[in-house]
Amino acid sequence: MSTLDDKSEETVEQVETTKSTGKEQKNGSWGIVLIFFVIGLVGSLAVGWWIFPKLLYSQKKQPIDFNHVIHVAAVEEGCESCHFFREDGSFSGVPKLAQCVDCHEEVMGEDPNEAKFVEEYVAKGNEVPWLVYSRQPDCVFFSHAVHVKMGKVDCVTCHGHIGESTHSRVYEENRLTGYSRDIWGKNIAGLKKNTWDRMKMDDCAECHAENKAVPKIVETLPWPISWMPRPYEKPASSQIKVHIEKDACFVCHK
Amino acid sequence: MEEHTKAKKYGMVIDLDKCTGCGACMAACMAENNVPFKKDESNKLDSITWMRVYKLTNGKKFPEAEICYIPRPCMHCEGDHGHAPCVSVCPAVATDYSHETGIVSQIYTRCFGCRYCMAACPYHARYFNWWDPVWPDGMEKYLSPNVSPRMRGVVEKCSFCFHRYQLAMNKAYVEGHRELKEDEYQTSCTQACPAGAIIFGDLNNPGHAVCQIAKPDHKHGGRPMNPNAFRLLERLGTNPKVYYLSSRRWVRRAGDNYIKDEGKQGNH
Amino acid sequence: MKVCRRSFLSLIIGGAAGTALSPLPLKLMDDSSIWTQMWPWTPVPEDGEVSHVDSICTLCPGGCGITVRKVRSMIGDRAIKIEGMKGHPVNDGGICVLGLSGLQLLYGPTRVKTPLKRAGARGEGRWEKISWDEAIAEVVKKLGELREKGKSHTVACISGTDSGTTAHLLGRFLTVYGSPNFIRIPSIQDSYELTTYLMQGVQASVGFDVENSDFVLSFGSGLIEGWGSPVRMIKANSMWKERGKVVQIESRLSNTAAKADKWVAINPGTEAALALGIANVIIQESLYHNDFVNNYSSGFEEFKQIVLNEFSPDDVSEITGVSASTIESLAKSFAGASKPLAVCGRGQGETPGSLNEFMAVHALNALVGNINKKGGVCAVPYPDYIKWPEVEMDRTAANGMHKGRIDGAGSKKYPDTRYLLDRLPDAINSGEKYPIEALFVAGANPVYTIPDTKAVKEAFNRVPFVVSFSSYMDETAENADLILPNHVFLERYEDVPTPVGLQKPIIGLSKPVVKPQFNTKHLGDVILLMAKSFGGRIAEAFPWDSYEACLKKTLGNKWDGLVNNGFWADSNFRPAAWEGAFNTPSGKFEFVNKGRAESIKIEGDEQAYPLILMPYDSMRLASGFIGAPPFAIKTVEDTALKGKDIVVEINPKTTRGFVEGGYAILSTPKGQAKVRVHYFDGIMPGIVAIPRGLGHTAYDEYLADKGINFNELIGPVEDPVSGLNAAWGIRAKLIRA
Repeated sequence: MSTLDDKSEETVEQVETTKSTGKEQKNGSWGIVLIFFVIGLVGSLAVGWWIFPKLLYSQKKQPIDFNHVIHVAAVEEGCESCHFFREDGSFSGVPKLAQCVDCHEEVMGEDPNEAKFVEEYVAKGNEVPWLVYSRQPDCVFFSHAVHVKMGKVDCVTCHGHIGESTHSRVYEENRLTGYSRDIWGKNIAGLKKNTWDRMKMDDCAECHAENKAVPKIVETLPWPISWMPRPYEKPASSQIKVHIEKDACFVCHK
Repeated sequence: MEEHTKAKKYGMVIDLDKCTGCGACMAACMAENNVPFKKDESNKLDSITWMRVYKLTNGKKFPEAEICYIPRPCMHCEGDHGHAPCVSVCPAVATDYSHETGIVSQIYTRCFGCRYCMAACPYHARYFNWWDPVWPDGMEKYLSPNVSPRMRGVVEKCSFCFHRYQLAMNKAYVEGHRELKEDEYQTSCTQACPAGAIIFGDLNNPGHAVCQIAKPDHKHGGRPMNPNAFRLLERLGTNPKVYYLSSRRWVRRAGDNYIKDEGKQGNH
Repeated sequence: MKVCRRSFLSLIIGGAAGTALSPLPLKLMDDSSIWTQMWPWTPVPEDGEVSHVDSICTLCPGGCGITVRKVRSMIGDRAIKIEGMKGHPVNDGGICVLGLSGLQLLYGPTRVKTPLKRAGARGEGRWEKISWDEAIAEVVKKLGELREKGKSHTVACISGTDSGTTAHLLGRFLTVYGSPNFIRIPSIQDSYELTTYLMQGVQASVGFDVENSDFVLSFGSGLIEGWGSPVRMIKANSMWKERGKVVQIESRLSNTAAKADKWVAINPGTEAALALGIANVIIQESLYHNDFVNNYSSGFEEFKQIVLNEFSPDDVSEITGVSASTIESLAKSFAGASKPLAVCGRGQGETPGSLNEFMAVHALNALVGNINKKGGVCAVPYPDYIKWPEVEMDRTAANGMHKGRIDGAGSKKYPDTRYLLDRLPDAINSGEKYPIEALFVAGANPVYTIPDTKAVKEAFNRVPFVVSFSSYMDETAENADLILPNHVFLERYEDVPTPVGLQKPIIGLSKPVVKPQFNTKHLGDVILLMAKSFGGRIAEAFPWDSYEACLKKTLGNKWDGLVNNGFWADSNFRPAAWEGAFNTPSGKFEFVNKGRAESIKIEGDEQAYPLILMPYDSMRLASGFIGAPPFAIKTVEDTALKGKDIVVEINPKTTRGFVEGGYAILSTPKGQAKVRVHYFDGIMPGIVAIPRGLGHTAYDEYLADKGINFNELIGPVEDPVSGLNAAWGIRAKLIRA
């Protein structure tokens, strides 16, 4: 408060002492005001677009740098060789140590990462604490079975070209929510080019709308309001068609 | 993708003649659904029990007194075409009626705790989390990954073990079919009940036991034809999917609010 | 450059505009809403591959098969749910509250995590962690000292069971060490075994073919409240709903009475008289089974004389409060049923009861000829797979074994009774025989479960060395000097022979579902290690390297089947035919009547204590050696427990002097407690009913300090024939607090 008061006193003084050159001064002060506006604008844009993401996400390295290319080349059934369906219909996800040990009982190649893996995990029998880029919040139920087996959706559609990676990229963890940056998407504005760029609820909805996987259709409000709590009643016309019907919450939630 | 499955209507029949009030259904539900517990659970208003066994008495004196236990899960009311009392009042669409399964869902992360649904539910089937759940050190190890633990400030209720439906469907998909057999999807309470008093299945499927027991009599407002079968607060029009069986008239009458000496309804 | 107000405001506006044009507000709102929806302190259970393990639940003697669901996670396998095993001969998929809560015992805070040695005064709760080597060395040192002084008989062991390899190892150890004092926790099993021994001349467990009987006459047994094998009985009850009748004789409208086809309210403690009254009608009207009575029984004439002279329906009506016409109709329907069955043993059967009552009820079964028959009562031989070589005792051991038992079982006074734990506190406190220098407790919690808690605690204080093998910090462990924690049932192998009341011999195998969570050790292994430390004859008696090896060898060719199926059932078993079934001196069933069928007089003066206090059992409250886990406590009705107060039931006719739910002081000759009062029309006027299983002082905050333990309010009453505890209640008074 005190600084504000000081400033106002100064301004009053200024006005009194420079009456004669008032107009000139006025123009000059508007210029300064404009500069301040720009500083504020640019500064906050920089914070919002550049500093904020840096602050929001921490960078974590995978415990082992994993080369998908080598593995895909070595196995016969593509992704499903390691990421397979269990008999009970559940999806195995990231392989457990027991699976890796099938091949990596001993060091096979010359990659130091493999040596490290065998030494620190296989020999000691500890599971590798992989950081899962696509891990969804606990409230989400996602059935790989229905998408892959029934919907014939490719792995790439949601996971991107991870199978073609030679190194594990940095895992960026949202400090606030604890989830991977992949859920919101690399683009801080939430814009996406590819189907696999984001994995939020609306992204599921978008795909379902296109594919009409589920017969009933209901409208939701367009982005960016769409993820806010809202009544699902059918209002205006300008809306994206999404499969998520009013009665379908339990389909993807638990 | 064109193969559409017929809509299900999952429901339950509880035989009150067989129910012994042992409480296994309650514990089975808690164990299956990560229901938390507190130091004192004797205030039954804030004690979260998705499945709760109530005790009814016939109000007579010794030795004519009788008691009957009545397990109460969520009734998964169909109302009029899915307008269950709780669903209609939820401002957050955190609860809704699935026309595909007939199950009333509850999405905890969506719920913001206004508790309108609790006020609307005539069966007290909904519970509010006044506190964050706390499991004593080490006990969180038994938590099931299939049901997400709830947080303070949200409402929860029986889901007919919907996650079991999801898991059963997963298995079916991997095996290449979309229809579930009766025994592939059963709730935890049904499975645990030592008396075999709870039967669960699809009310739309004549092959399922529940469908046979609950056959509606459309001439009489859709109430079941079986003279021993009744639903709770039938006359409210909530159209619940949980049916009860009792050979005792006073029990059947206790299932609805009757004015003293009211006519034949309870005879049904 | 001076910063004027306009510039400052402009900066703010520019900043606001820029912020609005950046993704920050939206993203921050999104993230913070996710954060608030999923607080970091709300646990997220880890997902993984699911597997199932079949095992046997040993939380009660019911022996149900269980299937445990596990999920593989980073920290190893987590057990996430216990379910009933489909196809198991006892429970076929069903399961009870306690079984369902088993994982709370496994992962709960009440576990004893490592061997403990008392650091403060007894019961003070101060412990020192010690290693297993130290713990075993400590026990062996103490036992060695006693043995050297020729006082091996002053060692006693209280065990929850005497069947199965672990209990046999324990008993064997005691024998070669030189102590006759192996004592099993009392229950109606004692009375039933004694009854079959006296009337049929066989040592066997008693099985009830409840699934096939069509008329069950229950003298106060909590058929669906934990009597026998609880889940099996509830299943049977559902069958009776379809084809059968149940008559419950009890002074309180228990769940069993409520579910029965007929509830006969009887004056408490007069069940034996009613049984004989029914016998009177059956004999009078010649409704009995002629073939059995004439050809396979002896002593019938004498029995007939007593029954006809002293137990006419009118006389019995006088005693029991049951009308003569009811007695007659009960007798006719019982004798007229095609497969009638009479059972007794109150509630869950934790109190052995009056032997006369058991014999009177068993006589009813004999009269209708359902002994060893379908739908009846059969003597089931103990499974005989434990065939270890006879122990060779050294002189010290032989001397010790020749000293009489401390509890008086097998003495001249009670020659046929095997164990008399309820007499132990008195025997120790009075010091009439010899002092007990060391006490071992395994699979039992006597400080909680034995009547007259005060006397039990006093007896414990008189024993200088108490060792508990409990997995949980229960009341007995709290009052021990040393705790050698056993694995819990989900972490260990254990054979479970024929569950209580089952009509055919089976063996179940309890298996480790998860690896031991803490630094605990199998009791069997502890015994083997102790024996090895002793060397000599004691070590020779235990030629196995580990408990698992011992179990495998003992079960022999049954092992593989047990591991695969979880149980072994003798499909060829048929109860012995009447010809040759009876091992009595006469070779026939004997209608023995030891003494008069007088009702057991309960403790207390009628003037000072006008009411009668009786306990009741519930499936929702564990009242045995396991305390009720949080899930179970949660299911308890607020008419049994309200806050920290126990609620007692009285009939409004008894007195109207209380407010519903109001406080009262309940006192008995043994003690008093503050209780709340609940008016219940289902209880006979003059009786106060109190739930069993509350009032724990040990365990966790979910169970401890809630209500009062009924055993603090009652003491044992010795049955004149068996010496077992026959107290069915105690006189009491209730005054407004």
